Amino acid sequence: MEEGKAYSPDGVFAHLEMLEARAYEAAVKQEETEQQEEKLARLKARVQELRLQRDELRAKVDLQQKGQLGKEGVVSDPAQPSARPVLEWKIKSVKAMLEVFYLTGISGKLTKRGVCFCISTAYQGTYLDSYYLDLLAKPQMQIHRHSVPIFIPLEQIAKKYLQTDIRRFLSVLSDHLNAYVGRRYQADQLQEHFSDQIEGTLQRNSLCNLLVFNYNVSSESKTFPFNARLLYGDLCRSLPTEVIVSCARVGQLCWCPVVVLQVWIRSVKTCCFVTIL
Amino acid sequence: MDNSICQVYEDEIQSLEEEIKLLAEKYEDSQQESTFFSDEEILMSIKSFQREFQGGSKGRESLSDLKAQLESLETDLSFLMKFTGIQFTSHSKKTVEKTRNRTVRKHRLSGNCHSLSFQLEFQLLEMQNKESVSAVISDLSIIMESREDSDVSKFVSSTEEQGNLLTFFRSLSSYAEWYEHRRCTFLHFKAVWTRISLFHILHDFFRELQEICKVKTSWHSQKPCPILPEQIVFI
Repeated sequence: MEEGKAYSPDGVFAHLEMLEARAYEAAVKQEETEQQEEKLARLKARVQELRLQRDELRAKVDLQQKGQLGKEGVVSDPAQPSARPVLEWKIKSVKAMLEVFYLTGISGKLTKRGVCFCISTAYQGTYLDSYYLDLLAKPQMQIHRHSVPIFIPLEQIAKKYLQTDIRRFLSVLSDHLNAYVGRRYQADQLQEHFSDQIEGTLQRNSLCNLLVFNYNVSSESKTFPFNARLLYGDLCRSLPTEVIVSCARVGQLCWCPVVVLQVWIRSVKTCCFVTIL
Repeated sequence: MDNSICQVYEDEIQSLEEEIKLLAEKYEDSQQESTFFSDEEILMSIKSFQREFQGGSKGRESLSDLKAQLESLETDLSFLMKFTGIQFTSHSKKTVEKTRNRTVRKHRLSGNCHSLSFQLEFQLLEMQNKESVSAVISDLSIIMESREDSDVSKFVSSTEEQGNLLTFFRSLSSYAEWYEHRRCTFLHFKAVWTRISLFHILHDFFRELQEICKVKTSWHSQKPCPILPEQIVFI
């Protein structure tokens, strides 16, 4: 092709450069291909290794289910089990017991300077947030750190009970926290499950002891807009102390008082059912 | 083309690793739940470990770490039991279902709170959400001695229905404490009333005696009756 140029010095060098470049590209490509093949081979080997491991484990678990596999590493002579698996078993079972304490509402751990309590909260069967209190024992019982939200009157409760009766302190704090979490959970559930009946969003304060929402009740092809205001007067309870239900369109309703009364009763029943949940 | 094959392998590797992790955990859980070592066996194995330690066996550091860990955990546990008044005497659990995000376990617990004993069975569902783990109780069944008391019975039934394990424990704690107070107070008053009744009985007896003697004295002479005590001492 370039024979005409091949005999001039520039042409030769250019040709050589071009050949060099081609060779270089070919080498790079070959290296890439080799690397790619290596990688694929590695991945394939890893997959096979893992598959084998998985199959072995599956077989082990199946045997275990059938109750045929004895405990590995432990001498079958029950009189002298070796120390390590026994200790490990005991450690796991004590840890499991400590986890059960979490379900009772008050659990904790001793620290160098005092104790760290964990107050768990729940609404009916569902466990919700847990709150931590790091207490120091000396010079007197005091709160070092905590994760209690700011609208819970922790300082007041601490002032009243912390020095004299820690159990009472934790119990009262637990009442407040459980009630708050219960109210919040109910409001969330209301919003989630009755979203088609509620107009707009549920309005609530951070303590969740004041709930205001608008909802519609349909009866005989007429829709009545209601407004409900729930006040939870007792901070240690998750049921409202005051419920005010009002209807916006009073003018139209006075034509059918019986219907109004029926609708009002039904709507109040729905409301109370929802909060008593 | 190669990249997509690589991707397929990598995906399979990831899913295999997860499956292996899950299977290993299942195996561990099952081993833990089906084994039981009595306290004597545990003490014996700790002693045997100490012998091994003295013998200078390899890996003794990790065994002594284990022992220290066990002691610290047991200290925490005994503190909690003493503090809350809730003593668990036995606990067993069985993993019913375990997937990547869900674990369902059946628990059996027995214990007592002050003088009230209880036995519980429940199912605990733990689900892994994005940031946290949620726990839900179902199938709660409670057995308590004092269920004959109608208030306790009503409370326990409604707690069972709603799966309200937390409320059960919190109420049990305060009920048991007050139950204990009432019991002590009752026993105290029982003792006091017994003494007081004895006092009244004796007092009436001697007064009657006095009446009889008065009649006798006035009838016969002015001398005081010898059968009247000069001193009554109460211990």
